[in-house]
Amino acid sequence: MKMTRRYLMGAAAAVALASSAQAQDKGTVYYMVPTLLDEFQTTSVDAIESFFKDVGYEVVTLNADNKTDVQQSQMADTILLKPAAIVLAAVDFNALTPSIEEARAAGIPVMQFDRQITSTVSDLTSVAGTIEIGHVAADEIKRLLTEKKGAVSGKILQVLGDPGDPYTLDIQKGFEEMMDGTDVEIITHPAMQWEASNAGSIVADELLATPDIDLIFVHAAHLAVAAVASLEAAGKQPGDVMLVSSNGAPVGLDLIRQGWEQVEVEQPLFAQAAALAMFADKVVNGEEIAPGTYDVLGLESVVTIEDWGPNIKIPGAAITAGNVDDSRFWGNLQAPSDPISPVE
Amino acid sequence: MTPARRRTFEFLLDNLVWLMLITVLVIFSLTIPHYFQFGIFANILEQSTYVGVMAIGLAIVIIAGHLDLSVESTAALAAMVTGLLFASSGIGLGLSLGPPIVMIPVSMAIAVAVGVVIGFINGFFVIKVGMSAFIVTLASFIWVRGLVVAISGGRSAQSLDSAIRIIGVERIFGIPLLAWISMLCFVVFSFIMAKTPFGRYVTLVGGNETATYRAGIAAPKILWSSFILAGALAGLAGWLLAIRTSGATANLGTGMLFNAFAAVVIGGVSLKGGIGKLPGVYAGVLLIYSIHTAINLMRLPAHWTQVILGLLVLAAVLLDTLKLRLREKLL
Repeated sequence: MKMTRRYLMGAAAAVALASSAQAQDKGTVYYMVPTLLDEFQTTSVDAIESFFKDVGYEVVTLNADNKTDVQQSQMADTILLKPAAIVLAAVDFNALTPSIEEARAAGIPVMQFDRQITSTVSDLTSVAGTIEIGHVAADEIKRLLTEKKGAVSGKILQVLGDPGDPYTLDIQKGFEEMMDGTDVEIITHPAMQWEASNAGSIVADELLATPDIDLIFVHAAHLAVAAVASLEAAGKQPGDVMLVSSNGAPVGLDLIRQGWEQVEVEQPLFAQAAALAMFADKVVNGEEIAPGTYDVLGLESVVTIEDWGPNIKIPGAAITAGNVDDSRFWGNLQAPSDPISPVE
Repeated sequence: MTPARRRTFEFLLDNLVWLMLITVLVIFSLTIPHYFQFGIFANILEQSTYVGVMAIGLAIVIIAGHLDLSVESTAALAAMVTGLLFASSGIGLGLSLGPPIVMIPVSMAIAVAVGVVIGFINGFFVIKVGMSAFIVTLASFIWVRGLVVAISGGRSAQSLDSAIRIIGVERIFGIPLLAWISMLCFVVFSFIMAKTPFGRYVTLVGGNETATYRAGIAAPKILWSSFILAGALAGLAGWLLAIRTSGATANLGTGMLFNAFAAVVIGGVSLKGGIGKLPGVYAGVLLIYSIHTAINLMRLPAHWTQVILGLLVLAAVLLDTLKLRLREKLL
C-alpha cells in the first residue's frame, strides 16, 4: 500500500488546524455551514474553528445539509443560546434574511462567510465574490482561447452546479457578463445537485452533439474530475479540450498537475476565514470596523462599508501549472502556520 | 375478441414500456439535432448503468412486497470505499495490488460486500425484528449517507487506479464496457426471476406472503435474500459509479434513488408487490436516460430541465396506469 503525498499533506494540515492556540474563553461562536458534502465547506469548518480559537473563541459548527429550512431552524435555536456571534454561510442568500435580523435584534452579531447577503445588514461579510470568480474565469478563458485560436472565439461548454444554488448562478452571471460581446458560443447545462456523474453525462453528450468544443468551464473542481473521465472515455488526451474550473479544491489542482486542466479559479478559503477571526473582537464588542486595506494572510484585502454592513473582499486567484504548488492555495492543504492576530 | 387478437393485445400491453421507449427514441431522433447517432445511443446505455443495476435490486425487493430506500446511499458508500482504497488523489489511499488485473475483482468484491452488509442489516430489522421496511431502509438511507460523509470527512477520492479505470474507458463493438455489465446484470437477473425457484418464490411472497408461508415456502428467508441482493447490486452500482467518475465524492449518486424508483414503476413493477418483470425495468431506465439525454441536447434553460424531466416521468407513469386499466377492461 502506498500512502500518497497528498493524503499526508491533508492529514498534516488538519492536525495543524486542530492544534492551534488554546481558546481564551471569550465565548462561543456558532458556524452555520451549508453542507459537508464538498471539500470547500469541509475545509472551511477546520479553518474557522482553528482561526477563531487563535483569537480566543470556541466554535460550534452546525451543518444544514443544504436545506434552507434546517438552517433557519438552526438559527432560531442558536439565538436562544445567546452565543458571542454567529458565522453564517447561507444555504439560500435571501431566505436567511429574517433569521439574521432576528439574531441581531437579540444582540447577537452575525458575520457572513463566503456567501454575500445584501438584502439586510450584517456585522461583517467576508467574501471572494462569486460574481468576481466568474470574472476571473472569463479573463483566464479569454487568455486561453486567444493563445489557442488567436482570438476570443469558439465554443465553451459551461457546466453549472445545481440550478437552485445562487452560488453557481452568480458565477454564471459574472462569467457571462464578461464574455458578452465576444465571438464565443456558450452552451450551458446544470449538473443537478452538484452530482459528479451528472456533469460527466453532460460532457459525454455534448462531445457528440458539439464535437468542436474548445473549452469546458465547470463550476466546481469535483465536477471537473467527472468531466475528465468523460473526455478520457471519448479518447481525448490532456489539452485536446481545455478545462477551467472554480473553487480551488485539491482535486482541481491535481488535474492541473496531470495536464487535463489549465486554470482553477481559487476561492481564498483560508484568508476568507482568517478575516472573520481577525475582526471577531470588534464585531463581538460592537466596535467600528474602519474601511481600508488590510493584510489577510498576505493577501491585500479591502474593507468597504456597504449598505449591508462592513464588507471585506479578498481577491480570488487563478491557479495555473506555473503556480499550482504555491502553499497559499487552500487546495494544497497547508494551513497557515502563524496564529491569527486580532485587528487592533 | 379472438384468441389471436387477444394474444397480440396482451403482448403489446406487456411490452408497452418498450413501445414507449421506441416511440420516444424515434420522436427525439427526428426532432432533436444530433440525437440520432450511434454515440448518443451508446451514451444512453452507459448513463443507464448505475441506476439500472440499482433498479434491479430495488425491483426485486418491491416485487417481494417491500421497499428499499437505502440503495442510493449504499451505492455511494460502496463508491466511497472503492475510491478511498484504490484512488491516489484526495483522500484516496492508492492501494496497489499485483498483478493489476487482480484489482478489478478485488475492488468489485469489496464494493459488493459493503452492499451485502447493508442489505443484511436491513433484512435483519425487517424480518427478524419485524420493523417496517420503509422505516428501516429510510433510516439506512440517512445513516449510510452519513457514514459516507464521516469516512470521507466530506472530501473526495480521485484518480482511480488505471487497472480498474479500464472498465470505464474500454468499449466492445463501440458500446462502453460499463453498459455491457449492466446489460449482463439484467439478463442474469431476468433469468433468475423468471426461470428459477428463487425468482418465482420472490413473486409469490410479494403477492401473498402469508399464503406462501403456509404453502411451506420459507418466506422470511426469501425476503432476507432479496434485501441482501438489493444491497449487493447497489454495491455493484457504486463500484461502477466510482469507475465512471474516477473516484468518489461525498454527494456521489445523490438523486439516483428517485430515478431508480421511477424506472421500476415505469417498467411495470407494482408497488404493492407480486407483479413485475426486470426487462420492463430496463426499458424504464433506458426511457428515463433517453429523456435526460434529450434534455442535454435540447439545451433547455437550466431552471426548466428538472420540471420537464419530472413531467415526462409523470406522463410515462400515467401511460402505464392507463395500460393497467385497459388490461382490466379488455382482457
